[in-house]
Amino acid sequence: MSSWWLLFAMSAITFLNRYAFFTPSLSYQPSEKVQRFLSYSTFAILTAIWTPIVFEFDFEQGFTHAGWDYIIGATIAGVLSVIRVPSIIVVLVCAIVFFGLRMFF
Amino acid sequence: MNKQPANSALRLSLHAVLDTSPLAIAVIPWALLTGALAVQAGFTPAQSMFMSFFIFAGAAQLSAITLSNAGASWGAILGSTFVISARHLLYSIVFREHVIKLPLRWRLAIAFVLTDEMFAVSQSHTQRTGEFSPLYALVSGFTFHFAWNVGTLFGIVGVDFLSNHEHLGLDFAIVAIFIAMTFDQIRRRPILIAIIVSGTVSVICKPFLSDSYIIVAGIAGMSAAYLADTQIKDSAQDEVPS
Repeated sequence: MSSWWLLFAMSAITFLNRYAFFTPSLSYQPSEKVQRFLSYSTFAILTAIWTPIVFEFDFEQGFTHAGWDYIIGATIAGVLSVIRVPSIIVVLVCAIVFFGLRMFF
Repeated sequence: MNKQPANSALRLSLHAVLDTSPLAIAVIPWALLTGALAVQAGFTPAQSMFMSFFIFAGAAQLSAITLSNAGASWGAILGSTFVISARHLLYSIVFREHVIKLPLRWRLAIAFVLTDEMFAVSQSHTQRTGEFSPLYALVSGFTFHFAWNVGTLFGIVGVDFLSNHEHLGLDFAIVAIFIAMTFDQIRRRPILIAIIVSGTVSVICKPFLSDSYIIVAGIAGMSAAYLADTQIKDSAQDEVPS
């Protein structure tokens, strides 16, 4: 039940971000600099979410990782995306490699 | 808005549907994944459907699915929802001049379906015709909304057939999806820097900042990208002979 409230709140947030500048009373116009800063938000947040799934850090061991299957899968995803393979194919190929590795090793 | 004859409105709507359909079709696999992953992460089918209908933002939905599956707090989930969908503020700013005079119900409806795709299709229509059409934007937005929700529905239904396995690698799926959504633009220097800084800060901060590490890392990445961008622009200006 509680997650319903979370979903209502998320809906409100995404709607308000879309509607924000459609309010006639709002006279604030963000500068080009603010707009440039905001344009990187998706890249930064998505990266901040996936990296700790693959890599871990603590003071004793430094950087460690979640397993070679993750490293190999993520590397393939990275390389294919950089050479502009359509993203849905990237995800498919990676999933096949990742589960293949898990099944056979 | 001047009154258009019914049949030209219909033609315009048809154009909007046709112009949006390549993007709408392309998004269906993502919608399938989003629906399937939501159910795997423990959301009920009704909740998963609600997300696609009302939140209607792929990156925000997938992030919330991942974070809630990892037991993150509401603060962390809502905070990252806000920052991710802050991108929509940009579209809202650009559309402002076109929609500000429209009646409230038009503004609400256009905002409800304002996405990257609708923005792109509608902007290109505005450039072609020299005039923003609220009807075109609205129809384009709802075409995309329809595809996203149909895809989600099939994802939810399909997940029962495909896998009753425990956690079919939900966390790896997210890794692959998020890399695919960001790395295609890594050739742009500021984006590369955003990814490196945000990723490193996130991994290092996670053990210390139980929940806020995502926002902290995100803001760090955005700031670094912004600085890099400013520097690139400055040096480009320096090279121009005066």
